[in-house]
Amino acid sequence: MMQALVTCRGLTKVFGKGELAVHALDGVDLDIHRGDFATLAGPSGSGKTTLLNMIGALDKPTSGEVTIEGTPLSTMSKAALSELRLEKIGFIFQAYNLIPVLSALENVEFVLQLQHVGAAERRERATAALHEVGLAGMESRRPSAMSGGQQQRIAVARALVSRPSIVLADEPTANLDSTTTAELMELMSRLNRDNGITFVIGTHDPRVMAHSQRHIEMIDGKIESDTND
Amino acid sequence: MLASLAWRNIWRQPVRTGLSLLSMALAAMLMVFIMSLQLGVYDTMKTGALRLFDGFGQFQMPDYLEDPDIEHTLINADAIAQAALQVDGVTAQSPRAGSFAILANGDISFAAAVIGVDPALEPGVTSLGSSIEQGRFLQPGDDAAIVMGIGLARNLDLELGDGVTMLGTGNNGSVAADVLTLVGIFDTGIPMLDRQFTQMPLSRFDETFGMQGNINTIVVSGENLSAILSAEPQLRAIAAQNGVAFRNWEELQPTVKQMIDLDISTSMLTYITMIVLVVFIILNTLYMSVLERTREFGGLMAMGMRPGLIGRMVWLELLFLALLGNGIGILLGSTLVTIFANVGVSFPAMAEVFAQWGVPAVVYPMLSPLSMFLAPGVIVTAIAVLGFIPFRRILRLEPVSAMAEAGT
Repeated sequence: MMQALVTCRGLTKVFGKGELAVHALDGVDLDIHRGDFATLAGPSGSGKTTLLNMIGALDKPTSGEVTIEGTPLSTMSKAALSELRLEKIGFIFQAYNLIPVLSALENVEFVLQLQHVGAAERRERATAALHEVGLAGMESRRPSAMSGGQQQRIAVARALVSRPSIVLADEPTANLDSTTTAELMELMSRLNRDNGITFVIGTHDPRVMAHSQRHIEMIDGKIESDTND
Repeated sequence: MLASLAWRNIWRQPVRTGLSLLSMALAAMLMVFIMSLQLGVYDTMKTGALRLFDGFGQFQMPDYLEDPDIEHTLINADAIAQAALQVDGVTAQSPRAGSFAILANGDISFAAAVIGVDPALEPGVTSLGSSIEQGRFLQPGDDAAIVMGIGLARNLDLELGDGVTMLGTGNNGSVAADVLTLVGIFDTGIPMLDRQFTQMPLSRFDETFGMQGNINTIVVSGENLSAILSAEPQLRAIAAQNGVAFRNWEELQPTVKQMIDLDISTSMLTYITMIVLVVFIILNTLYMSVLERTREFGGLMAMGMRPGLIGRMVWLELLFLALLGNGIGILLGSTLVTIFANVGVSFPAMAEVFAQWGVPAVVYPMLSPLSMFLAPGVIVTAIAVLGFIPFRRILRLEPVSAMAEAGT
């Protein structure tokens, strides 16, 4: 069987201590394979964001292990985790998290700058990424001059431009209307289908789930079901 | 990349940045101006006090300063005078001899310092002649003439043209007695000078006090005090070659030096207070901005930007703000100093106090690298160093908690 891109084994995450302790994750085992287009669904507090944070090397589990491409994250230093996020993981956030003082193109280029990619290649790849997400001609606009959907498209372009192994999206459509949501999901589906990009999307929006091939349902920090279309 | 981002970041909140810049620029401007004014006052005070009587430097025998005895005559005086005039910056020299004597008018007598000067050379090194209130200063060709301060003339009940009897001890213990005619009364505004000092022609002094051509000091002067300060190493070398001492302004006017030192130390407290206030206002502003942007920093960390890099970006923001604010301050302050260096700053209420130090009521600020860059430089350096506070906070951030901090 093909090795999983991401493996989670016995993941627990406990916030607080004693009687106030909250088990955000409670023994999660999960494999994400290359090319997956998975949604992580469940009600608020079910552990979706916590699990995405663990997979994205943003947070450390109380116990258990996450490996990405065979490398266990628990053995990595803070700096190495930063490097891993930069090179292998793309993030799309609900609030876009764009840099307001940079233009759309500069926001996308920024990740490549952190990777020390040369100026010409940087400009070329960032422009291509913006074209890919349908923002051609809007390169010089600042995020504040764009709609929510357009800003989220910049975030998608930024997540993709570094050619990551996996893109993690946490409630990417929560701030978008239904038309924009449909357009964004269509875009991500196409990128998955045509380019083989692996997406894991945390959501409780049925319109988002409708686009995914794999549905992972979480309740109370546990995986309740994991089904493929 | 970081510099460009930092520069744009400081303009996110243009009003806040503008106010920060304004407060820094005004503080820097004020400090540049006040310090320039202070240096102007010091310079006027030093120059005024020295020009009036002592000159910018003197050659004396080594023990003459502590014990100004007439018998401490200068050796190789002519050679020293000629050598001093060859030094760049020295424009004039004048020989002097001096002693203490009892001056009398009828039954009234007072002790005073009697200085023999060359009437032709003396105006080149001091400005006592311009303080003549009545009569005139000594002139070449004068013989039994004397000028004295207004206080001494009043005490002796003398008027111009009156005879003054002088009795003192000459060189080698001889008796020095003479009758001189009062030709001028000076009013320097400095009570000590006006009550205790007199000048008479050096030739007559030589004769009366039995100097046999010897003198006690050679006074040197230049275009300004700085010229003599620059020439000081060469003047000291000439003194050493001839076995005598060269005295600079600090040795000739120790009280002026002490007063300047005291004024500097007290005004430093004011400067330090202003600097501390400005630095903390700016740090507080930036720290607030760091707190507001914690979620954004979390997002940058999630993207793979290391906290150290984010910290450096914020540190650059602080540095840009400090450099810009202080740069504007230096520009404004220098402009203000340049304007007032021509028209002067008037202190009519302080006229009497200033007069005691030979300082006029109108003071001209003096722009110098020290006054331009010291205070702004300290502000920028302090801000750059204390920038480690927001930097340290950023280093401690974790991506998830940072992104959650603002309630995402």
